[in-house]
Amino acid sequence: MPENPYINALATTLTAVIFIIACCYGLGSLARWIAKVCGASLKKQTNTFAGYFFAAPWIVGFLIFVIVPLTFSLYWSFTDYRVTSKDPANWVGLENYVNLLLNDDSFRASVINTLYLTIIGLPLQMGMALFLAVMLNQKMRGERIFRMAFYLPVILGFNTAVLLCWRLMLNTGTGIINQLIRGISNAIAPFEYANRSAIFIQEIITAFFLGLNTGKYNLLHKVFEAGFPAANRVPLWVQSPLWSKMSVVLLMIWGCGAMMLIFLAGLNNIPKELHEAAEVDGASGWQRFWKISFPLLTPYIFYNLVVGLILSLQIFEPIFVLYRDNQPLVSSTISMVYYLWQKSFSHFEIGYGSAISWVILVIIFIVSLIQFKLQDRWVTYDLY
Amino acid sequence: MKRYWPIITGILLYIFLTGATVLMSFPLFWMISSSLKTLEETNSPGIIWIPKQIIWDAYIQIFQNQDFMRSYFNSVFYVTLAMTGTLLSIAAVSYAFSRVEWPGRNIVFFLMLSTLMIPPQALIVPQYVFFNKLHWIGTFNPIIIPGYFAGGAAMIFLLRQAMAQIPKELDESAFVDGANHIQIWWLVVMPLVKAPLATVATFLFVGFWNSLLTPLMYLQTVDLYTLPVYITTLFNINNTVQQWPTIMTAAVLTTVPLIIVFFFTQRYILESVAVSGLKG
Repeated sequence: MPENPYINALATTLTAVIFIIACCYGLGSLARWIAKVCGASLKKQTNTFAGYFFAAPWIVGFLIFVIVPLTFSLYWSFTDYRVTSKDPANWVGLENYVNLLLNDDSFRASVINTLYLTIIGLPLQMGMALFLAVMLNQKMRGERIFRMAFYLPVILGFNTAVLLCWRLMLNTGTGIINQLIRGISNAIAPFEYANRSAIFIQEIITAFFLGLNTGKYNLLHKVFEAGFPAANRVPLWVQSPLWSKMSVVLLMIWGCGAMMLIFLAGLNNIPKELHEAAEVDGASGWQRFWKISFPLLTPYIFYNLVVGLILSLQIFEPIFVLYRDNQPLVSSTISMVYYLWQKSFSHFEIGYGSAISWVILVIIFIVSLIQFKLQDRWVTYDLY
Repeated sequence: MKRYWPIITGILLYIFLTGATVLMSFPLFWMISSSLKTLEETNSPGIIWIPKQIIWDAYIQIFQNQDFMRSYFNSVFYVTLAMTGTLLSIAAVSYAFSRVEWPGRNIVFFLMLSTLMIPPQALIVPQYVFFNKLHWIGTFNPIIIPGYFAGGAAMIFLLRQAMAQIPKELDESAFVDGANHIQIWWLVVMPLVKAPLATVATFLFVGFWNSLLTPLMYLQTVDLYTLPVYITTLFNINNTVQQWPTIMTAAVLTTVPLIIVFFFTQRYILESVAVSGLKG
């Protein structure tokens, strides 16, 4: 292999392309031969060759990068395999799974954190998405520009550069967000009370979730003892375990554009006649929203909920950028994928990491299965 | 009074939406503004919306920073290579699923759709061991090569749907004229799906450009770091003072390609997000 990394990459890529083309011809010819043996017509033989020829990259990739890894990781999840040690892997049976599900505090923390994001974060994110969608659904000029502006955060979303900008904005002392909160609080009294109540409620909820995690509710007692936040209090975004998850929620709300587009599609699908009829009957805009639009949007809400849940299981970048090396905070925000990364690539415990992968896989599989079962009612895939 | 009601609500709506737009794009504004400040200004206790004196020092510094420029080149290099292969292989596979009748197509198509349920992260551990055995750790190969095997079931699905809508008569007349499948794929079908191809290309570009987890796992040395990995090393929690102007300059230069690409393809993207998978 050449030393220069770029030439090395180009050479390997070329090899891979040749390998893939060879696979295309190989698989296509094999399929044509089988078709010939089965006595298919000449046209059918040609089509069989072409079909397997063009589909070969995916078929081969599926075997190399999905089936084989999944099989191996299933096997390793029952062993104590470590990539660094020279000893062969020992079969340990269900030990990894038992440890993971029953004794592992960090894994439990990741489950509870996901629960927090699902129960607190997702409704806020979906509420924002729905609100923006309803506002954009008024069919006015320049709607496209607003739609673009609201979708842009999804594109930038989890780029580490943008996350670092959030880190700067969320600084507790000198960050722009807290400065604005301070400034507005000093100027407008009702806002100050709203801010303090929001801080109080948020801290109680998070302290409760952190309590669920450890089984001890010390932090919750502390929050209650401290009482209603003082007049000059600001959120401690990336500084306190009480606020670390809320910062991620803030990022989720910012990136609500994808959900908003789904809601917009849903709103467009509501027949106009329904709204017109209700308007004739004298229903107000508010009533029409809750009695017509909202019930008809429930499938879309459910779809967003499921997708959002799966995504929150997989959050990695924000936690890596905002809280990496920040020991007191990591356990209060850790997601399942972050934990998987930590176990497998900081500690190189491949066996244990494989067990985590399989648990994530099963959870996501169950969630997707529920979604596919229920979405029969509203989604039509025109497959064939 | 009632006559003016629609106009008033219209104006209120515009004010609200403009406000929301300002809030949503605020991080971008703040990023640019901070990159032009001095270190003291980024840490000052007062709000400085736009620095009084615009300082280009951070930009000059970052262009002289070998590591940053190299990681920029690395990102461009890897994204170009990975995107080319992924786009071509996805286009080939979509052709097989939409324009050719072959035994086993439905089974393979169903298998492909079912991989949508496998989170990519569940595969990273065994793939890491596999690439380790190939001695590919510390090279670009593990982040480029998998794409060449038509990675991304959602993208295949998107492109397949577009190809399936082209009338069958086109291929048939080309067949009569003596064209083979490869010619039909490249010369007849591909030019007709330019818009969906642009959508898929944009999604792929954004995905590769933002990708952090796999480059972080496989690249290992500073010489190979892509932009997202390199930028995280600029921010070190153990430092008491962060070099915010430098970090934000790097951030601006990283986001610029994303914004340019999004600006030119947003028409296709906004439509495809709304229709993909959901038909009411």
